[in-house]
Amino acid sequence: MAALAVVTTACGGGSGAGDGSTLTMWTFKQTHVKALQAAAATFKSKTGITVEISAYTPDDTFTSKVQSAAASHNVADVLEVHAAGEDRVLGGAGITTDLAGDINAQYKSRFLKGTADTGLITDQVYQDSLKPKATDPGVKTGQLLSIPFTAGTFGVVYANKDKLTAAGIDASNAPASWQELISWLTATHGKDAQNGGITLGLKSSSTGLDWAMEPLAFALLGPQAFHDLYGTDKSKAWGSANGQQVLELYNQLTPYWTPGTQTLGIDDADRAFAQGKAAFDIGGTFTISAIQQNGMDPAKILAFPIPAPETAVAKDFKLAPFALTGLAVSSQTANRAAALQWLDFLTQPEQAGAFAQAALDLPGTDLGANAEKLVGPYLSSMEAAFGTGDHAWNPGDSTFKGSNWDIQVAGDILVKMSPLKELDPAATNQQLAVYNTSVHSGQ
Amino acid sequence: MASRFRSREAWTGYVFVLPAVGLFAVMGLYTVGYGLALSFAQWNGFTPQWTWVGFGNYLDLIYRDPAIAPVVQGAALRTLVVMIAVPVLTVLVGFPLAVALNHITRLRAAFRTVFFLPQVTAGIALFYAWTYALQPDGSLNYILRHLGLGSIAQPQGWLGNPSTALPTLIVVMVLGSVPVAMLLYLTGLQSIDQSVVDAARVDGASGLRTMTAIIWPLLLPITGAVVMLNLRYALQDFQTFLLMTNGGPGGHTLVLGLESYNLAFVSGFKPTLGLSSALGWTLFVVALLLAGINLRVLRSRA
Repeated sequence: MAALAVVTTACGGGSGAGDGSTLTMWTFKQTHVKALQAAAATFKSKTGITVEISAYTPDDTFTSKVQSAAASHNVADVLEVHAAGEDRVLGGAGITTDLAGDINAQYKSRFLKGTADTGLITDQVYQDSLKPKATDPGVKTGQLLSIPFTAGTFGVVYANKDKLTAAGIDASNAPASWQELISWLTATHGKDAQNGGITLGLKSSSTGLDWAMEPLAFALLGPQAFHDLYGTDKSKAWGSANGQQVLELYNQLTPYWTPGTQTLGIDDADRAFAQGKAAFDIGGTFTISAIQQNGMDPAKILAFPIPAPETAVAKDFKLAPFALTGLAVSSQTANRAAALQWLDFLTQPEQAGAFAQAALDLPGTDLGANAEKLVGPYLSSMEAAFGTGDHAWNPGDSTFKGSNWDIQVAGDILVKMSPLKELDPAATNQQLAVYNTSVHSGQ
Repeated sequence: MASRFRSREAWTGYVFVLPAVGLFAVMGLYTVGYGLALSFAQWNGFTPQWTWVGFGNYLDLIYRDPAIAPVVQGAALRTLVVMIAVPVLTVLVGFPLAVALNHITRLRAAFRTVFFLPQVTAGIALFYAWTYALQPDGSLNYILRHLGLGSIAQPQGWLGNPSTALPTLIVVMVLGSVPVAMLLYLTGLQSIDQSVVDAARVDGASGLRTMTAIIWPLLLPITGAVVMLNLRYALQDFQTFLLMTNGGPGGHTLVLGLESYNLAFVSGFKPTLGLSSALGWTLFVVALLLAGINLRVLRSRA
């Protein structure tokens, strides 16, 4: 790592000149670069400040880049970071700065409901940060370590309208229930077994768990029983009848996975769907940009949230939009005032709309009644699936899970059931129970 | 006069060597020491302070942490399989290939180049090419189906079936390591004194007997080197697994090298860099032991 730091220092690329005329910004999303560069051009024409955008992808490359640059005090002025996680890690380590004094209530009101305080260190977050294996030691109550930049959610299903129609399905409305989705899959798969199934980038096994199985479990069991799955009460946690019920429903997907889905990365799965190799693709609000980049016309897509089962407890199940990425300012910057000006500019409704159209990604800024006009029909239609409150599933909330819970390990167990068929739902339930118990005993 | 000249000569030598020593001190000793210290600490790579845990990381990896130890144990078993299969198969393929090439005179250089190509091709390109060839609708299944061997084609792809994923990766690794083995054996074969082989033939030894009793024993030091190189490769490789399967499907190709990478960079900012370092040092000690055993075996045969 020290070697990496030396190399990075030699390459430069860190903080701007300090005269407020040039800023640097790093992101981990390649799909955001052009949209950010367009924003930077407008920003320069308005303020005279140049912003140089660099992308370091994938996520782990970005992480190691920031690690090494921080060691050599060479971090960019502004960072686009994973919200509700990475922002706290960097803030706790003193790499990024507290924005609480600069972002008042009026400023916060521009963001989507429920997302403005994603970067805020509440007392609960602070208490968790004191635990031995916490990821964000060093944070302090009241700090605001990032502001929302993009928002959205997981658990969005994309269906190919042409394939639905060919299988005799009315593609104008989303399926009313999980059972109807399975019947649709039966129809498209029956029409074309090779290319009529469902895909998801299961090479990262956690995607199956948190993009598909968890929203299904939330809808089926309701918020409290869903949280209890990850708790210490064995009569309600994984291994219980509730866990069995969830896994049996999820297992209904097993016959319909597109061949080799378990070997596809997230981008590969989106590409396979765009190329017509699958009738359905599970992802998030961010997936539409990847599908379009791979050449599929968004007009040929029907997008809907994972549908609730007929026996769902959370009948009015919705997806809670949460801040996916946030904007943070380096504590090492010599251009703090200019950096704050850039943050303000990026999160103004007009600019946020322009960004959304260019990147096909939903902004954290609430675009209100102008949403459809600003972000276009495909993204705005997704906002209809959003909701807040108790009956909205929020994948950004993991406070009820053991702090060492690793979605990759749990995802591997789930993949062994579906699509690999190595475990039946009962054995999967048992293995998840053993893992859940081990996580709690390791705390 | 002569001593002053020798002294100046020595100083010139030191000046030439100094940059390399300096570079080694910074890039080698410092980073090695840093890594060793890190293996006794808990750190997420960002916070200014490390939390010292002594041998805790090593104990967590081996048995103590119920969330990590079982994963490491499974990965160790798979690594062992790879460590046995890759060197053995490399010798089994590389040696006969070298013998065959040594026997032909026409187009030897052309064949040697063809067989050596995988070695000079960028690893990432090669791994991606293999990934596409091994998919459900990839070229390998296509060829098998058109040869009437559809029953052994893999509908889920060669990397998607848990029972074929690890063996397939081993084959890919072997094909990547055969070129160097073949070249070493070819060099060894060409350095064998022809009179020794001729003497064996005069004594009535068959081709097979000459091969097993004369040539193979003479090339044992090369076999030792090939086995050692591939043991190290099999023990520490992670990029093949990362790029081709990411440890999947369902963790069936997770090996220790990849787990070390995961603990360092894909652990969701958990303070597991020390665990990763401890795992890396454990692998280093095992590699050192293997090198010692190899050296001992070769020396006893010398």
